[in-house]
Amino acid sequence: MSSSDTSASSGVERFAYDDAIVRKFAFATVLWGFVGMLVGVIIALQLAEPWFNRFGLEAGWLKILSFGRLRPLHTNAVIFAFSGNAIFTGCYYSSQRLLKTRMFSDALSRIHFWGWQAIIVAAAITLPLGFTQGREYAELEWPIDIAIALVWVVFAINFFGTMAKRREKHLYVAIWFFVASILAVAVLHIFNNIWVVAGPMKSYSVYAGVQDAFMQWWYGHNAVAFFLTTPFLGLMYYFLPKAANRPVFSYRLSIIHFWSLVFIYLWAGPHHLHYTALPEWASTLGMLFSIMLWMPSWGGMLNGLLTLRGAWDRVAKDPVLKFFVVGVTFYGMSTFEGPLLSIKAVNSLSHYTDWTIAHVHAGALGWNGFITFGMLYWLAPRLFQTKGMAKPKWAELHFWLGTIGILLYIIAIYGAGLTQGLMWRDFNPDGTLAYPDFMETVSILIPMYWVRVIGGTLYLAGVVLSLFNFVMTWKMRPAKYAESMGEAPPLVLDKTPMPAEHKPVTPLFWGGIALTGVAGAAALVPGITDSDTISSLLTLVAGIGLTVMTLEIFGRLQWHRWLEARAMRFTIWVTLSIAAASLFEIIPLFAIEANVPTIASVKPYTPLELYGRDIYLEEGCYNCHSQMVRPLRFETERFGEYSKAGEFVYDHPFQWGSRRIGPDLHREGVLKPSALWHLRHMNNPRDTSSDSIMPAYPHLLTEDTPYSVIPTRIRAMAFLGVPYDDVKEGDLSIVAAKVQAQLIEKEMGADGAGLADKKITAMIAYLKRLGTDI
Amino acid sequence: MNEPLHQDSTEPELTDHSYDGIQEFDNPLPGWWKLVFWGSLVFSVGYWGWFHIWPGQSIIAAYEADMAAHAPVEPETPLLADEATILALMADPVAMEKAKAQFTLCGACHLSDGGGLVGPNLTDDQYLRINALVDFVPIIRDGIPEKGMTAGAINGLKTQADIIRMAAYVATLRGTTPATPKAAEGEVIPAWPSHE
Repeated sequence: MSSSDTSASSGVERFAYDDAIVRKFAFATVLWGFVGMLVGVIIALQLAEPWFNRFGLEAGWLKILSFGRLRPLHTNAVIFAFSGNAIFTGCYYSSQRLLKTRMFSDALSRIHFWGWQAIIVAAAITLPLGFTQGREYAELEWPIDIAIALVWVVFAINFFGTMAKRREKHLYVAIWFFVASILAVAVLHIFNNIWVVAGPMKSYSVYAGVQDAFMQWWYGHNAVAFFLTTPFLGLMYYFLPKAANRPVFSYRLSIIHFWSLVFIYLWAGPHHLHYTALPEWASTLGMLFSIMLWMPSWGGMLNGLLTLRGAWDRVAKDPVLKFFVVGVTFYGMSTFEGPLLSIKAVNSLSHYTDWTIAHVHAGALGWNGFITFGMLYWLAPRLFQTKGMAKPKWAELHFWLGTIGILLYIIAIYGAGLTQGLMWRDFNPDGTLAYPDFMETVSILIPMYWVRVIGGTLYLAGVVLSLFNFVMTWKMRPAKYAESMGEAPPLVLDKTPMPAEHKPVTPLFWGGIALTGVAGAAALVPGITDSDTISSLLTLVAGIGLTVMTLEIFGRLQWHRWLEARAMRFTIWVTLSIAAASLFEIIPLFAIEANVPTIASVKPYTPLELYGRDIYLEEGCYNCHSQMVRPLRFETERFGEYSKAGEFVYDHPFQWGSRRIGPDLHREGVLKPSALWHLRHMNNPRDTSSDSIMPAYPHLLTEDTPYSVIPTRIRAMAFLGVPYDDVKEGDLSIVAAKVQAQLIEKEMGADGAGLADKKITAMIAYLKRLGTDI
Repeated sequence: MNEPLHQDSTEPELTDHSYDGIQEFDNPLPGWWKLVFWGSLVFSVGYWGWFHIWPGQSIIAAYEADMAAHAPVEPETPLLADEATILALMADPVAMEKAKAQFTLCGACHLSDGGGLVGPNLTDDQYLRINALVDFVPIIRDGIPEKGMTAGAINGLKTQADIIRMAAYVATLRGTTPATPKAAEGEVIPAWPSHE
């Protein structure tokens, strides 16, 4: 298809936009949105009524539908399938128009589309089957990780190629956000997925314990930043002013909040690890940079809401604007709550409770969901070339179903989070825990879990309406789509040097540089970084210095205007910002040996325990159980001695978890050493705790331990430096595993007879080992 | 798509930017925005100083102080691990109420009514390692590791008084009727002595 022709007389080129690819991504968005949210409703039901965890338990294969396996499917589907396709929809539509050109390569666009959908299908198959790295939002196993990296590179080439052949001289703010997102996601994905392969669908993270936790939450936090925030701000900056037909409120605000957001976000990850075995200095930095992030985040909200000034009369009538207003409002709410939750004292209450779940759903359903649906309702008539939606009233109804659904969901789940958090920390006057039985703090939440089911179902009903509405609108399409044409004069690159008077070298700029320089130089003094206090101060000073410097440069409007006309330089600046922030944050943790004091009594897992741990990952136990006793009295009273960094040095990957739907398990081997108890509990949790909402695992009692996989896994661990010298040769690890299995079988007595070579025995070996080394 | 923008004369001037029809104002940043942003930088340095130099406590120091302030204390007249003390406690409803609350965690293996599950039934007349009331004390204090029973301290029984009260409470379970009794194990032993 011809993409451009030049009208010789005017010097204006005419070219066709590729809307077919946008239509594809748009359909994928709604479809995967439905799938991901349907799974969400199912797992919400499983928590409200454990029967939904038990259906078809007799048919062994239905183990794939238990909460621990479906929850990663839900999170991955909503983040990478629904939001991912939404980003691509908006990015492909708006970038072509903002850059005044067709996409760089139609072939790359198609490879990107089909590659991404294939990855989603692979995820939907492998996650329920238990192929997982056991790290939240990075569960997918290594072959899929490689595919993601390749498809992302295809997207990047296609996008930057489009930028290179643009006809618009300056890059608009939406493009800045796409640039930052594409670069940062590549960096995050690659550095968080460095593993050693231990089988066709099995790998171990090269990082262990504290460092693995740190990398994973650097990734997890910035996946929220660069997958769920910055690309959606890009969408907002295009579709909101388009739909409102209003100019953007403030150009200079868009510059300031873009650069501060890109720069500061990367430092904030450790706020997910407050009160854990992470060194406190890193935790403090995570908190402080999160607080600094508040205003940069709100810059986006202000520019969104204030752009609507003068269009409020139309908000009442137009469902697209309604979705945008509520979406941006939820963005503002979530980005206030983020810094709030990063404050250590608040976090001690909120962490591991449903408060976090409510927070992310306000963000995902409110911000990502509503921006997406607003965008899709605006796009559909344009993409399908109809006069409007087939059912305009349904869009309105979708908005109200969605809004009421979100409110029911988050109000109930905030309530659940606060209730449970306050019960955990409640003491009797005599100093004993008011609710020593963990079960009590779960059972009380059940009514709130039912409200969540209702809220989630309403939201899902809205999505179903939109799906029908889009299909019906699509059916109204013309027999043949008209080419959507753009026209613009060819780009004449601006080669002029920056005017001297605009150079951003001011006292504040030099001040920032000096602060960073002093901190960097000080860090080179031998021995100085052995102190937590000094390391954290140096990082903080360097961070603030770099922030001041960054804002001072990018606050110079004429200079920035000059930069926007230079795509390559602009991209390099974004890359430098991302790299500087990441390196300053990460290097100290890896460089300072004192961060993980070794404990002589901590030994590697035995071969059987290691395999048991792999079952723990497969079943997704970390979705409901933490392994991190925080140094807080109400924690140690309940779960025993607080967790030390040195206890996790062989944990590839770490399993600290982020939510306790069940109790912490780090000291399980100390608290519940009875093999027989675990046997009965795993077979049916309600046999030992009548109110338990945990899924049952009877299949572990019937499936054989595949001993033959153990030597490969031991060698992979040995490769990572785990001292397995005594068992890494030949089949020694198998022999060791079988001997230990016999001992555990004997310990389980009559009930355990014949179970030595079943998976349950390996699982119990692991559970009995937990937390017993010190 | 190209209808004129809604704009009135009181609005600030537009920049000359136009991207696919999207124009931009260049309104100044709100004052409060700048104030809070610079304030957050200043706050960060202050917070760091407070908690990492002086006078704030580190998380571990604060935890240790909290634990020290709530160290378990024995009653002024310590309870003795003898039969008379246990019998007296068995007749003391306040003590038994407290012990019952502490028995919650024991219920994981013995069920909350003592009917037995992984651990033995505590309500019948047969016992595995008990011949007299005082025999409960070392078992509750130290557990039976080879059978998977944990020491009392792990289940919140931190003082000698907690242990002895629990011994008395477990003794009172004898003769009660649990919902789902486990089959009796061990030898029948004589009834507890009466409390005078």
